[in-house]
Amino acid sequence: MASSPHAAPVLPIESPDNGPSEAIRSAVSGASVAIDAVTVTYESTHGSGPPVGAVNNATLDIPAGSILALLGPSGCGKTSLLRAIAGLERPKHGTISIGGRCVSSAQTWVQPERRSVGMVFQDGALFPHLTVAENVAFGLRRSSLAMNRRKRSERVGEMLELVDLADLGDRYPGTLSGGQQQRVALARSLAPQPSVLLLDEPFSALDAALRIQVRAEVARIVRDVSVTTIFVTHDQDEAFVLGDRVAVLRNGYIEQVGTPDELYRHPSTRWVAGFVGEANLVRGQLDTSSGDTGLANTLLGPVPIATPIAAGSDGDLDILVRPEQVDLRPGDCALVTNVEYYGHDVRYELQLDDGSTLAARTKSSELRERGTRVCVRFDGSATEAWPSAGPTAASTLLTP
Amino acid sequence: MRLLSLAIGAVFAGPAVFVVWRTLRLGAALPETLSEIPAPLWRTVQLAVLVSTTTAVLGTGLAWLTMRTNLPLRRLWRVILVLPLVLPSFVGAAAFIAGLAPGGVIHDSLELVGISPPRRFRGLGASWLVLSAFTYPYVLLPVMARLVSLRSSLDESGRLLGFTATQVFIRITLPQLKPAILGGSLLVFLYTVSEFGAVQLLGYDTLTRVIYSTRQTNRALSFAAATVLLILALGIVALERSRRGVVAPDDRAETTTAPAVKLRWRAVPAFVACALVAAIGLVVPLLSLGTWARRGLVDGRVSLSELADPALSTATVAVTAAVLAVLVVLPIAIGSIRRPHPISHVSSVSVVVGFAIPGLVIALSLAVLTLNTPIFNRFYQTMGLLVLAYIIHFGSQALAGTETAVRAVPSGLRESSKLLEPRTIRRALRIDMPLMRPGLAAAGGLVMLSTLKELPITLLLSPIGFSTLATEIWASYEEGFYAATGLASLVLVAMSAVLTWILVLRPSEAVSS
Repeated sequence: MASSPHAAPVLPIESPDNGPSEAIRSAVSGASVAIDAVTVTYESTHGSGPPVGAVNNATLDIPAGSILALLGPSGCGKTSLLRAIAGLERPKHGTISIGGRCVSSAQTWVQPERRSVGMVFQDGALFPHLTVAENVAFGLRRSSLAMNRRKRSERVGEMLELVDLADLGDRYPGTLSGGQQQRVALARSLAPQPSVLLLDEPFSALDAALRIQVRAEVARIVRDVSVTTIFVTHDQDEAFVLGDRVAVLRNGYIEQVGTPDELYRHPSTRWVAGFVGEANLVRGQLDTSSGDTGLANTLLGPVPIATPIAAGSDGDLDILVRPEQVDLRPGDCALVTNVEYYGHDVRYELQLDDGSTLAARTKSSELRERGTRVCVRFDGSATEAWPSAGPTAASTLLTP
Repeated sequence: MRLLSLAIGAVFAGPAVFVVWRTLRLGAALPETLSEIPAPLWRTVQLAVLVSTTTAVLGTGLAWLTMRTNLPLRRLWRVILVLPLVLPSFVGAAAFIAGLAPGGVIHDSLELVGISPPRRFRGLGASWLVLSAFTYPYVLLPVMARLVSLRSSLDESGRLLGFTATQVFIRITLPQLKPAILGGSLLVFLYTVSEFGAVQLLGYDTLTRVIYSTRQTNRALSFAAATVLLILALGIVALERSRRGVVAPDDRAETTTAPAVKLRWRAVPAFVACALVAAIGLVVPLLSLGTWARRGLVDGRVSLSELADPALSTATVAVTAAVLAVLVVLPIAIGSIRRPHPISHVSSVSVVVGFAIPGLVIALSLAVLTLNTPIFNRFYQTMGLLVLAYIIHFGSQALAGTETAVRAVPSGLRESSKLLEPRTIRRALRIDMPLMRPGLAAAGGLVMLSTLKELPITLLLSPIGFSTLATEIWASYEEGFYAATGLASLVLVAMSAVLTWILVLRPSEAVSS
């Protein structure tokens, strides 16, 4: 636990006594997870076809006690990777180790029940024929834990307290709300003190308002018990809010792994740039006159480039400009075609002279109206650029 | 509407009420009569317990093997293992007896491998084998359906919480399947206690056999036995209903394909088990019937053209019963769904209970009622009475589908269509009928299938000279004319196979794919 970067527990503000007992916190401790060159394939659903790749050659290191988000659009293989870690899917190639112990390789296969992995499913997967307390106690009955009845019920009480459902132990899952079900599922998977917790789109079945609330609560709990957590989501907000680090998957390949800030400011590809947030790809040329390869000339003025572009590329560049990096000034180079007022800021859609669209976000203090003309300037820190693939518009808008 | 549904409900309850009333009227003779009941009752219960336990295990096991494991050819098994449903159990019994007779396919093949064939095939053991072999699909089908709708995340959670696949099956999967298994095996129990044809052929003295053999010589005993059977059957249905209410339906069920359990070496015994069940329930009886039929056709002693008339009357009476049954229960379905009221509830219960009344009891009751009551006398042995008996017996099967059909036109839709099309007739033709058609067709189809396979009602109530395939099979078997039994059975099986495919297999395939 001491090795975890989140050793300082984020306890609820109202009273420290409401937090998990010292027993739970000291007993649960995360294990590191190492995924090395893992490939998972599925048999084609139509019988004789070739195997369909779900995950290709994925390599990831997840430090003990940290939270990793697997982010990607549906069908990108993120759930397959999660299931491979759990042992519900056997990878075709590669090795998976949990806490330094190899659980899956060409020679080794550890059954899911022996991996010390807890998992919360999208639908909660609560056993409908058991009460909430019996659900939480379920994993405590396995012989390896050797818990007697009194110890079990003590632990169930602690876990239900942890998820703030202490008075619902006698209810059946069918009578709980979606958010309560997910919290019971979390309590159930944490009760046997797994070293790794896997969450498969745990909030996707909840409605928007509830999702944010349950998400915050789950974040608090997993950081409290400092269990290594890997969760799957297609929601960029969720990945950024919860994940210490985020792995972005696309078509079975890991495109990029990094902190939310790295992914947002320095995406490795155009696709990641657009997937993790709204992005303008603005056309520009490398400024060679000054001899400084870290600057590009664009419609928005000079833009500093963070990653040096290979020398000799003299063609057009696609330069990432986030909407909040666009500053609006009085002038006559773009037409305001749409205004979305959000309170804390305002999002504008602008039409450039060649007809292409540029998005901008500014503070709401200087409000512009639809139909007015403005001038656009780049205002931000160094950003990323990629050699342009072909003739492009002055700006291309990518939305997640 | 309420009056109508009350009247219909009364007709459905009529035969049962009459049987009980007649029995109670015995008065002083009642205790003496009842003293003859315990022995056949015990035999009935014994057989029903054995058969329903066997089918519970067999149906659950086969469903799990074909739905959740990597059993070779499992898609094919899912179809084949349902097929014994097309054989009425009395046809199955006849097929086994004919197959074991000298010249029969089982007899000859046993002799071929040097085993002396059993000389007699009757009694408890034979009835148990035959009824189990043809009724396990009643458990298999609901359990398969439940397995399809069961979220695989439940099993997977169980594994991740530290339990082996076998422990998870016992602690998680089995409790989820319990309602389906219980429902299916109670249905088998009901089917077995009501069974007449097979136990009659196999010489096992159950209550139905007592009712049938004493219906003319000792009517008091016949009615007493019918009352006891009625109470037994109703008790089972009541039990099933009360148990069904306990389990809350899983409304978040999502269809997921669970990864197949790897059988490895166990695939061999599993495959053999499936093959054995299919052999006993399907292949051997069909071969046995086929051999006799072929022999008869070659000799020229039987011909398909002789069966044209019975086949046609079977189809006619089945279609008539199906259409009328749907029309009769429609007011009850409409009443109980659109305007729930105690009266419509009572009527719908009385229709559902008709299913629990053994066919033989309905037949006996209606026969005696028309024979002995001057005003009803002229209905005795008429087509009308025969069809009425079918409707009473199978109305409940029509009710479920009809209720689905009524639900297919939700009230919001009816209201909005009322605003768009004020003419009632046109609205019924253009909105209601197209939406209700699938449900009504399924309802009618089920009644048709059951009518085809029905024996005791047909036997007791058919007009003189009116023969159906079922009565042909029965009569030719009693004469020992196996060739005719074989051919008529095959025609009946072919007809019911087509209907079963349309009604049972196609929808269940749609569910599993």
